[in-house]
Amino acid sequence: MELLKKNKRFEFAIFENLSLTTGRTLFGIFLGLLASGLLIALSGVNPFVAYGALFRGAFGSMQAVSNVLVRASPLLLGGIGVAIGIKAGVWNTGIEGYMYLGAIGAAVIGVLDLGLHPGLHILLCIVCAIVLSGCWGAIPGFLKAYKGVNEVTATIMLNYIAIYLTNWVVSNFPLVAEVGAFYPMSKQFQATARLPILIPGSSLHPGPFIGIILCLILHFVLNFTPFGYRTKMLGSNPFAARYAGVDSRKQILMIITIGAVIGGISGAIEVMGLKRRVFMEFVTGVGYESVAVALLAGGNPLGVILSALFFAALKAGGATMSIETGVASSMNSIIIGMCMLFVIGFGVIDNRKLKKIVSTDKDPENDIAAEKEGEK
Amino acid sequence: MSLEIIIDWLQAALRWAAPLIIVSIGEVYSERSGVINMGIEGIMLFGALTGIAAGFYLNSLWLAVIITAIIGLILGFAVAYLTVSRRTNQVVTGLMINMVSLGATDMIFSMMSETRKARVATFPAIFPSSMTNIPVLGKLLFAQPISTWVALILPFFAAYVLYKTRWGLNVRAVGDNPKAAATAGLSVIKIKYQTVVLSSIFAALGGCALSLAEVGYFSAGGMTAGRGFIVMAACVVAGWDPVRTALICIAFGAADAAQLRIQTLSSTIPYQFLQMLPYIVTIIALTIMVKRSRVPKTWGAPYDPKDV
Repeated sequence: MELLKKNKRFEFAIFENLSLTTGRTLFGIFLGLLASGLLIALSGVNPFVAYGALFRGAFGSMQAVSNVLVRASPLLLGGIGVAIGIKAGVWNTGIEGYMYLGAIGAAVIGVLDLGLHPGLHILLCIVCAIVLSGCWGAIPGFLKAYKGVNEVTATIMLNYIAIYLTNWVVSNFPLVAEVGAFYPMSKQFQATARLPILIPGSSLHPGPFIGIILCLILHFVLNFTPFGYRTKMLGSNPFAARYAGVDSRKQILMIITIGAVIGGISGAIEVMGLKRRVFMEFVTGVGYESVAVALLAGGNPLGVILSALFFAALKAGGATMSIETGVASSMNSIIIGMCMLFVIGFGVIDNRKLKKIVSTDKDPENDIAAEKEGEK
Repeated sequence: MSLEIIIDWLQAALRWAAPLIIVSIGEVYSERSGVINMGIEGIMLFGALTGIAAGFYLNSLWLAVIITAIIGLILGFAVAYLTVSRRTNQVVTGLMINMVSLGATDMIFSMMSETRKARVATFPAIFPSSMTNIPVLGKLLFAQPISTWVALILPFFAAYVLYKTRWGLNVRAVGDNPKAAATAGLSVIKIKYQTVVLSSIFAALGGCALSLAEVGYFSAGGMTAGRGFIVMAACVVAGWDPVRTALICIAFGAADAAQLRIQTLSSTIPYQFLQMLPYIVTIIALTIMVKRSRVPKTWGAPYDPKDV
């Protein structure tokens, strides 16, 4: 009973708000695009021309489509990392930090000439990325599960720490840092530690497909295994889960750590497949975007595939739009954020129905008992 | 460590803490009424940019402050409409507001390229410069810009309003037991709107204090660097009490000022590790204090008037 009371204090009401319907979601996206169009017009560019450039930049050619896929890679992996958190009722907003740690992990192994077989070298890099980002994610996981520290604040603080750690690694850490570079960056990855390019002439690496496979695996895990059942139970009704004997603390620690590991893999893939080096602040913004991806998908792993591809198309097209029409490049994040604000603003269906299902945690006796304890 | 260095450090600590304290006043009210306004990070950015832009184009600090407050008011209504009327998830709403603000301030700043080079006049000190010659206190307090003085006095006033006035009682009642408050005839929605809008106005003013009191310029790419989240952590650590929250903010300011000073004093520790200091302090403070603070009962939960 003591455990129940303690954990009750630091819970957000999540599920009432994640009841999105397809029609309202599409309407929200439409309104978001409309509002962003107004902003584009205010900045002095014809929004129809701008959106035309955006569409061409996303779907106009084979090259454009491969660009979309490349940009989808961190969003797919980040989105699924946040999504499993949502299923368990936690906001894992530390994707950016995990990506930095994963990239550092990959770089520590990847820049060394170990004379290994390429497959083995890549595998070692990924393993190192997983270990580092997993340890990093265990910090907010432990703090949330056992200390009651709000995970959003903890992960965002850790993101900033990770940024400075990366800055140090790429500018001062002797094993990894490129000496005398004009901008702080790591040495180039060895040829054996680079992911293969799938279509010659493009920059399409296996990252997006790894992301899609992970989404499918997690869909299976969430829906067809005891672990997934416990996770969903914890998210939809933490009290029922605890009565049913789910060790909620361990489960929360594991969920946040798994999200961190996926984020770490995402960071490793980004540097091994696309950038070839670790730069200072190379993933700015992906943290928030991953939350948007997971949210649009309603925390559903299969939905993550669709929403990540949608946002990746917006980002790839947005880059073309800003080159062709001169709209500021930060328009991307404005469009994504606006769409999501309208989706959550208009996508909420009658949540009183849902509340009745979830409302067992509002047991009046519990409230009175908690109050008494508070007075002491 | 000579006395001079310590005074210099404390003076900088107060200066860095001032924007945090101003933001924290509003956030305490908003969280006391049950709404976590996570958008303060983004609203601070808007405030910082508005302050600089208005100061540059209109060449008046006071007009800049007024316009910043108006921008905070508008954004506050947006946040309040979503979180209170539409009952959206407060975490997500805040994160998305931050995302849009980061992009929008960058975009607007890139359109105002002429403000980039110019330095805008910053807040003046309110005491005559002869008073800065007074030993210790002169440098520590009397040389401070007006924003620091506001930040030092405001928490006491805010505590008075929160604990001794009818409106303050209403705010606490709404946060702890909205149903009882509604039964007693209060408009829960109205009070939540008031606190959320108030917190957004203070967040914008805090951002303005950040850009106009200390540095005198705006820099793209998120110049607030997580300060909004540090303020939210300070509220939790201090148990949502205005004066104690201000003290915690000063402690964070001291960590910020310390890392800047150690950077110049010694080169043995890489500066990147020193830059982590305020964030590490925040996490440790949260971990130690979180179980002790008394949370407003409906903290973070949406309120539905039809829900009986």
